[in-house]
Amino acid sequence: MATIQRHEPTGTDDQPRRPNIAWAGVQLPAVKDYEQVDRDIMATLRPTKAWFILLATAIACLGIGAACWTYQIHEGLGVAGYAPPVMWAVYIVTFVFWIGIGHAGTLISAILFLFRAGFRTTIYRCAEAMTVFAVMTAALFPIIHIGRPWKFFWLIPYPNWRLLWPNFKSPLVWDVFAISTYLTISTTFLFIGLIPDIAALRDAEKNPTRKAILSALSFGWRNSEAEWRHFARAYLFLAAFSTPLVLSVHSVVSFDFAMALVPGWHTTIFAPYFVAGAIFSGMGMVFTIIVPIRKLFKLEHYVTLNVLDAGAKLCLFTSLVVGCAYMVEFFIAWYGGVAVEQDYFWNRVFGQWWWAAWIMLTCNMILPLSLFSQQLRRNPAWLWILSIFINLGMWFERFVIIVPGLSHEFEPWQWTSYSPTFVDMGILLGSFGWFFMWFLLFIKQLPVIAISEVKEIVPPRLKRAHAHPPEPDGAYEPDTPGTYA
Amino acid sequence: MPAPSTVRRRDFLKVLGATGAATTLVGCYSDKIEKLIPYVNSPDNTVPGVSNYYASTCRECAAGCGLLVETRDGRAIKAEGNPDHPVNRGALCARGQSALQGLYNPDRFRGPMVRESGKLVAITWERALELLAQKIGEAKSKGQSAGAVFINQHEQGSFGAFLDQWLAGFGMPAHVSYDAESPLSTIAANRASFGAAWPKLDFQAAKLVVSFGADFLDGWGLPVTHQIDFADARAQYDAAPRAIYVGARRSLTGLNSDSWIPARPGSERVLAQALLDAVTGKGDDALKAAAETAGVPFASLQSLANELRTVKPSLLVAGGHGDEGTATATIINAINTALGNVGVTVKPAEGSRAYDAVAPHSVLREATDHLAGGTVALAFVRGANPAFSTPGGLKFSDAFQKAAFKVSFSSYPDETTALCDLILPDHHAYESWGDAEPFKGTISLQQPVMDPVFNTRATADVLIALAKRDPSMAARVPADYRTWISARVGGDAALTAALPKGLLAGTLAAAPAPRAVVARTPTAAAEQGKGDYFLQVYHSAALGDGRGANKPWLQELPDPVNKIAWQTVIELHPETAKKLDIEEGDHATVETRQGALTAPVYLYIGLRPDTIAIAAGRGHTAYGRYAAGCGENAMRLLPHAEDARSGAIALVSTKASLRKSPLHSRLVTTEGSGRQHGRGIARAVSAKQLAAGDTRDEHEKFVGQAKAEFLPGLRAPVANDAQGELGDPKSAQKGQYDPAHPSGAAKRRWAMTIDLARCTGCSACVTACYSENNIPTVGAPWQGPQFMPDRTGFGANVTRGREMAWIRLERYFEIDREPKDVEFNPDFETRVIPMLCQHCGNAPCESVCPVYATYHAPDGLNVQVYNRCVGTRYCSNACPYKVRYFNWFGYGETNRAQYAFPEPLQWQLNPDVTVRGKGVMEKCTFCVQRIREAENRAVLEKRELVPDEFTVACAQACPSRAIVFGDAADEQWSVSKLVNDERAYHVFEELNTYTAVVYLKKVNH
Repeated sequence: MATIQRHEPTGTDDQPRRPNIAWAGVQLPAVKDYEQVDRDIMATLRPTKAWFILLATAIACLGIGAACWTYQIHEGLGVAGYAPPVMWAVYIVTFVFWIGIGHAGTLISAILFLFRAGFRTTIYRCAEAMTVFAVMTAALFPIIHIGRPWKFFWLIPYPNWRLLWPNFKSPLVWDVFAISTYLTISTTFLFIGLIPDIAALRDAEKNPTRKAILSALSFGWRNSEAEWRHFARAYLFLAAFSTPLVLSVHSVVSFDFAMALVPGWHTTIFAPYFVAGAIFSGMGMVFTIIVPIRKLFKLEHYVTLNVLDAGAKLCLFTSLVVGCAYMVEFFIAWYGGVAVEQDYFWNRVFGQWWWAAWIMLTCNMILPLSLFSQQLRRNPAWLWILSIFINLGMWFERFVIIVPGLSHEFEPWQWTSYSPTFVDMGILLGSFGWFFMWFLLFIKQLPVIAISEVKEIVPPRLKRAHAHPPEPDGAYEPDTPGTYA
Repeated sequence: MPAPSTVRRRDFLKVLGATGAATTLVGCYSDKIEKLIPYVNSPDNTVPGVSNYYASTCRECAAGCGLLVETRDGRAIKAEGNPDHPVNRGALCARGQSALQGLYNPDRFRGPMVRESGKLVAITWERALELLAQKIGEAKSKGQSAGAVFINQHEQGSFGAFLDQWLAGFGMPAHVSYDAESPLSTIAANRASFGAAWPKLDFQAAKLVVSFGADFLDGWGLPVTHQIDFADARAQYDAAPRAIYVGARRSLTGLNSDSWIPARPGSERVLAQALLDAVTGKGDDALKAAAETAGVPFASLQSLANELRTVKPSLLVAGGHGDEGTATATIINAINTALGNVGVTVKPAEGSRAYDAVAPHSVLREATDHLAGGTVALAFVRGANPAFSTPGGLKFSDAFQKAAFKVSFSSYPDETTALCDLILPDHHAYESWGDAEPFKGTISLQQPVMDPVFNTRATADVLIALAKRDPSMAARVPADYRTWISARVGGDAALTAALPKGLLAGTLAAAPAPRAVVARTPTAAAEQGKGDYFLQVYHSAALGDGRGANKPWLQELPDPVNKIAWQTVIELHPETAKKLDIEEGDHATVETRQGALTAPVYLYIGLRPDTIAIAAGRGHTAYGRYAAGCGENAMRLLPHAEDARSGAIALVSTKASLRKSPLHSRLVTTEGSGRQHGRGIARAVSAKQLAAGDTRDEHEKFVGQAKAEFLPGLRAPVANDAQGELGDPKSAQKGQYDPAHPSGAAKRRWAMTIDLARCTGCSACVTACYSENNIPTVGAPWQGPQFMPDRTGFGANVTRGREMAWIRLERYFEIDREPKDVEFNPDFETRVIPMLCQHCGNAPCESVCPVYATYHAPDGLNVQVYNRCVGTRYCSNACPYKVRYFNWFGYGETNRAQYAFPEPLQWQLNPDVTVRGKGVMEKCTFCVQRIREAENRAVLEKRELVPDEFTVACAQACPSRAIVFGDAADEQWSVSKLVNDERAYHVFEELNTYTAVVYLKKVNH
């Protein structure tokens, strides 16, 4: 009780202290004016030694992945750990993982925008960039996965002399449309949102080459009212356009499984289950990225604890939805009375794959329950540790769906086991290298926090005739001295 | 003003266009362009692309099955059974079919070799013959000819007589007709009891079949003959014989029997004697004592005796490889006689002559002793590999090495040729002439089906050439061996006339009688000494005594019983393993006085807990790339023990100790779970139930499972998967999917029935499929990921489930828990079921393929288009039967380590079937190449297809005639009746896949 009391609002009548609780309309009390916004955020664009080391690490990981893929293309998919009938394994797991990661970004940038949830303002750029890079990463995996990657384009409908079309009944063809649509829209959305910021960078830029590039990219943005009007409409339109994609893309991905006969896959709950899982995993990745950025770029007064708190609530909510989906799966397996299905779930949780299933349950269902505690929600270190567990748990969720399902199907004679090889793991590592390479390049080229949108929630400096008493620093109670609420 | 250009704009564009197009076109070909050049003068009877078939005789074991070898453009591409042949009646076992991989074995000797300073170097035939003639001459002049030794692989026919004549001409003693696999005890007992080595076993006439350790379905005796007869007998439902198996290890025959009496090794004679007493009315007292000795319940022996007394006629078959095998077999023959079975089920008069000439093992021992004396000037070996296939206790290699000059006629490098000084590689059976007389009065001919692959020569012709160099012999020898053969069968004209069928009536000169058995000083008591477990070594079904080990088809063929490929395992009962704290895959060391062997453990519930069983056949040190280093040789563990009465080698003659070794590896097995988990895949009904008109089985009584109606017949071909206009239900344009289309394809529904009452699980169909469909073997160490499942690397891909067998044999034990938790209980049922693409009418794989690489043909086939496949493998996920296989590596690409057909193995490839590339899916096509060939032939001959005109490769090879293929939509085809049989069912019919493969339930007795 004592701890709760410590956070209760106190204050005087003339200086009311607002409750230190995250809500939709998060404000940034420590950000005083537009100049500070420009200064603080543009300061993050200066490359540092640490950044170069991280980038080099990411590129090295990518190099390992590329080498493994080259080896795999040359030798054949047999160098990966596939053990038929486990015909889909690490690559598809990782594909779904990255697609899922992407979803939180669009949720934050589009859905929360439509819902006017102000806490998105300082993290959405980061999340959206994450989306684009995650989808770029995910899109590699179907190609890495297939037996003849050089024939990948056969999945795309293009006019040809033989009148051959892809099979529109196949969920994999739906995937092609879903992913390409998602990549197009999220990239456009990211870019549109960037235009005013690029213009701001252009104005501050001294190097003529960079200035020319930034001018081109900003489409000659002049900050006029008409431009802002068009910008706002375009942004709203794209947000509305992206919103259904958040739900549909991962539903389509879930159909890859739900449409097949495999026990444990062939279930109607998969679409909502996958969407919730995607947002959950995406929130996990947002924390993984934003917590260090906030610290290293000294942006604690932008990405405040209230922002993290609100994000953690979303994370907790999706965790509960995902946990509920797990329970429903088990219940339906029991209640449905199909022996093959029951067998599969028993094998998944208590049999051969118990370890994977319990990693999944622990990371996705049990550990996030800690977020019911406000202290932990406002503890960036815990959020970061938890986010690593969530990433791990969500990777294992896809693993638990895909590999145990295929290894324990209808035919007992073909029951099998599976273990990945260094090639699978190298390519998985490479995918992180690819993702973080793009992300690291992004954060030093373009502002990681939307300058223009932050300015929207910072009170403009008015031309005042008299000195205005400064807003008390204690309008929000800091959690600990030296941090911003 | 510049001079006008001589190149005009139009010309320039023309040239540019033409060169551009040419460059593009050339660039489109990633492979080098090869040209097909037609014959200038075509050989007679050769039409490019059309097969010729040559009738011949199989030499892979002594049985002498008839062959039709398919050749295309001068190369043998497939071995099929000769339907007119009395031994195999059109069927052929896995080993017989694999003869092709012996013919095209990449490790075959390319030509004659001589050992110079320890190394084999190539020489010319001229030089080689000169050298041998000189050595023979030397031996003759020194008077050492009489001491020469010639060991020849036992085979039917007159070669033995020819050889002995030749040897006699040079003053050498008669040859040793050695065969490690021959059931010598049974043969000796049969000779004593009936005066015939191998009486006909008439399973169909019997009402009860009792086998005493005779694995007659799996390589024992005349495997294919016995299998056909047994399957025919068992297919009679209520008139079918009940089968009982007596033996310490439940072999394939045991698994196909209705009950199993797990007698302790070494107790067979006592048990047989007690049974003889019991059936001849001397009371059951002896049975009680025998039950004690054999370690089985008295009740089971009593009921066996009762059954024998009441059910007539019965058929008792004695196998057994113990040191009392002959005594046991003689008693069993006496029981057959006492029960009046002789002439009814055991027919000496109609017997086979396959084993007439085989020498007892004691003769080889004598020769070994002789060789060990060190006075032998010349030793010859042909076909056989005694350095590998004899027990360690015999120390054959040491003895053989002492011979002054050793000549091998073997075509392959092996353990015995590794000791030889001169190698004169023999032709393969498909390259040479020969004869056989499988049944009295029937001669089966062996003829070359193609030109020799390498610079080899038929041994008979080598012998003739040598004789011609010797002035004393020259006048007496025939021009060549063919001439000699034709003289034996009634002249050249008779031979030529008989060749198309491969058979002719007549009798070959009596085979040389096997030499008298030399009694052995009994050492059994001493040999029994060490260890707590009986060691039973048995000949592997596929590899035999080891001669199949250089053929990748046979190495990759999972053993019908333990399902292990590419590996030697120690079979242990789970109960014993638990006691020793051994888990499946743990390595263990078996030790006898002769040596020790360490191998992974396989837990087998069909084995007595006090017995260890190990298959012989693997563990070669020098038998080519597919054999050397693969597995362990169990023969090393055996003492040299002989059955005193027959001179047969005793494979069960010693006790062994067993201890756990720290290693563990995954087994190279195709088995996932060995039981059905109530899923109703292989179903059975009892004969009694069937007689009462009840065809239900436990699966239909299963609560909670969706019960689909069995669809009478098969659903009509579906046109829904057709593309574009064809797929539109309102469109009149349905193309070939229209039943009225001139092709008539949509009127057909290619389908298959598999009768589980017939199927024994022998796996001949698997090899037939490999042979017909160019299926790569994937188990060699260089073909897979190098993570060493059993340290040797053999079977790495199989360990990962990547074998490509389009048809596989699943073997399910009907037990209620995992085999590893089972306590010893001899009373368990086994079901085997061949699983292949079911060609579903409503195929789950078709809708999920993103690129239409798999689609539904109008005649009901589920078609896989390799060229269109991009390899998403979604189809395999969707398939509930798990019958789709993926090319993980470039098994078909010549420049890769994983290439499955190294020169000249690729000569065997069926030119009608694509060799699949890396990264594509493949699966059973229902031998679509055979369907199209038959259809095209019918069109060319302007006729309709004749019902049952052709069949698929698996059905053709099946020695139990379990598989029937045809058009289920046409009631004239046999299959259309069988799909509506009362026992018919679809596997997983609750999934509504409408399969074209219909299984007929097994019938239990």
